[in-house]
Amino acid sequence: MSDNGSPNGSPASPVVLEMRGVTKTFGPVKANDGISIALRRGEILGLLGENGAGKSTLMKILYGLYRPDSGEILVDGEVAEIHDPKDAVRRGIGMVHQHFTLVPRLTVAENIVLGAEPRKGASLDLEGAARSTEELCDRYGLRVDPRARVSNLSVGEQQRVEILKTLYRDARILVLDEPTAVLTPQETEDLFEVLRELVADGLSIILITHKLGELLGVSDEITIIRDGKVVDTVDASNTDEGALARLMVGRDVLLRVEKKDTKMGEPRLVAEDLTVESNSGTVAVNGVSLTVRAGEILGVAGVDGNGQMELAEALAGTRPAKEGLVYLDGEDVTRLGSEARQGRGLAYVPEDRGNKGLVQDFTLAENNALKTYNEPPISKWGWIYPKVMRRRAAEALRAYDVRPADPDLRAGALSGGNQQKAVLARELSGDPGVIVAAQPTRGVDVGAIEFIHGQLLEQRAEGKAILLISLELEEVRSLADRIVVLYAGEIVGEVGPEATDEELGLLMAGRGAEKSA
Amino acid sequence: MSEGRTNGGAEETESGFRRFLTDSAGALLFPVIAIVIAFVIGAIIVLATGNNPLAAYVALLRGAVGSPSAIGRTLLNATPLIFTGLAVAVAFRAGLFNIGGEGQLYIGAITAAGLGVSLGFLGLFAIVPVLGACIVTGFLWGAIPGFLKARFGAHEVITTIMLNFIAINLATYLALNPLSGGGLVPGTATIEPASRIPVIGLGLGRVGYGLFIALAAAVVVYLLLWRTRLGFRIRAVGLSPGAANYAGMSIGANTILALAIGGSLAGLGGGVEVLGVYGKMSIPFVSNLGFNGIGVALLGRNHPAGVVLGALLFGGLASGAQEMQFATEVPLDLADVLLAVILLFVTATKLVELIVGKRARALASGTRLEKGLGA
Repeated sequence: MSDNGSPNGSPASPVVLEMRGVTKTFGPVKANDGISIALRRGEILGLLGENGAGKSTLMKILYGLYRPDSGEILVDGEVAEIHDPKDAVRRGIGMVHQHFTLVPRLTVAENIVLGAEPRKGASLDLEGAARSTEELCDRYGLRVDPRARVSNLSVGEQQRVEILKTLYRDARILVLDEPTAVLTPQETEDLFEVLRELVADGLSIILITHKLGELLGVSDEITIIRDGKVVDTVDASNTDEGALARLMVGRDVLLRVEKKDTKMGEPRLVAEDLTVESNSGTVAVNGVSLTVRAGEILGVAGVDGNGQMELAEALAGTRPAKEGLVYLDGEDVTRLGSEARQGRGLAYVPEDRGNKGLVQDFTLAENNALKTYNEPPISKWGWIYPKVMRRRAAEALRAYDVRPADPDLRAGALSGGNQQKAVLARELSGDPGVIVAAQPTRGVDVGAIEFIHGQLLEQRAEGKAILLISLELEEVRSLADRIVVLYAGEIVGEVGPEATDEELGLLMAGRGAEKSA
Repeated sequence: MSEGRTNGGAEETESGFRRFLTDSAGALLFPVIAIVIAFVIGAIIVLATGNNPLAAYVALLRGAVGSPSAIGRTLLNATPLIFTGLAVAVAFRAGLFNIGGEGQLYIGAITAAGLGVSLGFLGLFAIVPVLGACIVTGFLWGAIPGFLKARFGAHEVITTIMLNFIAINLATYLALNPLSGGGLVPGTATIEPASRIPVIGLGLGRVGYGLFIALAAAVVVYLLLWRTRLGFRIRAVGLSPGAANYAGMSIGANTILALAIGGSLAGLGGGVEVLGVYGKMSIPFVSNLGFNGIGVALLGRNHPAGVVLGALLFGGLASGAQEMQFATEVPLDLADVLLAVILLFVTATKLVELIVGKRARALASGTRLEKGLGA
């Protein structure tokens, strides 16, 4: 990673925001335990921590969505009572959430002024809105057409609109929550360029992320939070990824997985000219052919929303294929449903564990039996034996290091990483031959990522065929034996794991297709 | 009222039992708070009308449980509400809002009235086939909105309401025409006393063994939901259609089954009313049993045990209010006001939150309406 964290905010520049001894408890859980952070004018402060470490809670307190049990917030050295987001906005705090809050049918300018519309007499001054948007764009080098409809914008552009929204409300302190999760490498670089310009103009930024490398490239200081407490605040120019990971997790972490050579065998999962429709009836996957052999991990890279979900579902059998064929160990399973494919040894880790992988309000025992509830010994003659269900779940949860390993606990009560481990426990404990894993580490902390990667490689060593769909290039590169890139529902290229960010980025943006054609 | 758990092996008995207690306390907390608030508001209303609330409530309590015959009236009122409450609860567990209990009950009632007369020669042995037929016709009637939803996406709230009108008019037509008894009171012919569900006695008045059928139905529903594959599927579909579909469960089939099972329960309730209480289907027939079932299910947090308690509260308020009207100047309608306020607070969780604080929210998960309506 580049190491150009030029300290914009020298120690001399004044502290614009300080949170002192912030504590917030939810029932028995101390989400924030006496957290103190300080943000200087013209500085980018990275906020680093695993999922559930307390980053989001802290930012929600700053934005007035939660009230702290104790502690105080100082803006420009003055104690600020922030009761709701309106107070926060009035104090010059702007928040860009991970999930955008834009109205797709309105234009960029309309979205930006929404809630604070300029008026001309009794009517809206939409021209004025467009004009002030253009001024903002020019001032900070944020390229967006104010008159374009938001629904026609790329994800990166929509994010810029979100930033503009806060700037329009005179934000001087900007909080960005996992802003790069939805961006290509190039878009990420563009975003960071914008952030650098903003701080050069005197704004101050808090950047929340769990991606270590990115923080090093862009932030001045990094505050690491673990278990609701500040572990350390370090200068970005004096640290490295390994040190940050250690601080974040509390122990040494293997950032690079060790991949042993395996012998590749017969094709186990094959798709031929697969065409799949999205929920809205448009073609989401267009004539995709791929082969995954025993002992191989085939990585599918691409920007979110290019047909990954539909491809995974068509392979797993939860979504019908419009055209084309799917073979499992040589057998045509195109017409078979997910249950039948699962019976033939296909495991599927869905990309959306919250809504698909788990029933949040079921216990872990029930979730663990979600696919085996109708098989002995859990069930006989239509009858279910909860005791067996709980015993099997307890074993699986322990084997896959789910914490807490309490089969009676609601799945929704677990952190993201542990939820994902619970899904993995269910999917892999049946000894499947083929695994379709869609974004298995999305929103999962470093410790859990390490564990999940280890599990996938173990399965690979056992001769399983694994299709790994991921938005994280680093993940695809370190795990996969071959990588195909999905763009607009088509495979636009295949590369080896040694491919550079540049190469993959071009393919992901759909620009590799013309070159190779 | 634990969420489907009996204590397992010896090693977990203690924690299992403690969990059962906290679960039960959590499940009961909201309804109890709602009831307390409702009675406070009721007292203010009674005061405002120039009466003594204490006297009114004493009379209410006496009318509900003050004597064997009062208890009998309460149980008699509660019995059909257990059935219709279960009909709503089963559908709710599948994420569906069954407003069709009224019509399903009418379908069961007319089935029992017609078949009870023609099978009268079987004497006591007619009861089982007649009630069986009520379950079947209720099941088929309930399956209609299920099918419409699964096949065409028609919202079950609309279709079940519409089917109520059809069921009520269909039953009325049958009772007044082909099945008419021709007596002074309009309605079907009367079923032989030998073929009816016998009364329990013990000074409980007209309470029959139908009460035990209702309680048995609650146990069956409990076992169905938490101890069978079908129940597992229904609950999975209700809590997360996405995850259920991902696990290979059919959303459509389980939608149909959940509404049909609900229909069979309400249908059985109609049959038990005819065979156990009235001996015929007179026109007009008792109304609102189906609609009150919705309130019973909400109050009972869609758990079979809660439904039984909710039905007893509804039944007790109805019988107590009569006594209250006798003994004091307070009109019968106060019972309706109390029920309305209770339901308001049980469903409007935010309101109670304001009163008892946010912690209570976590305990109210079973009563959140949006789940049922959002499906």
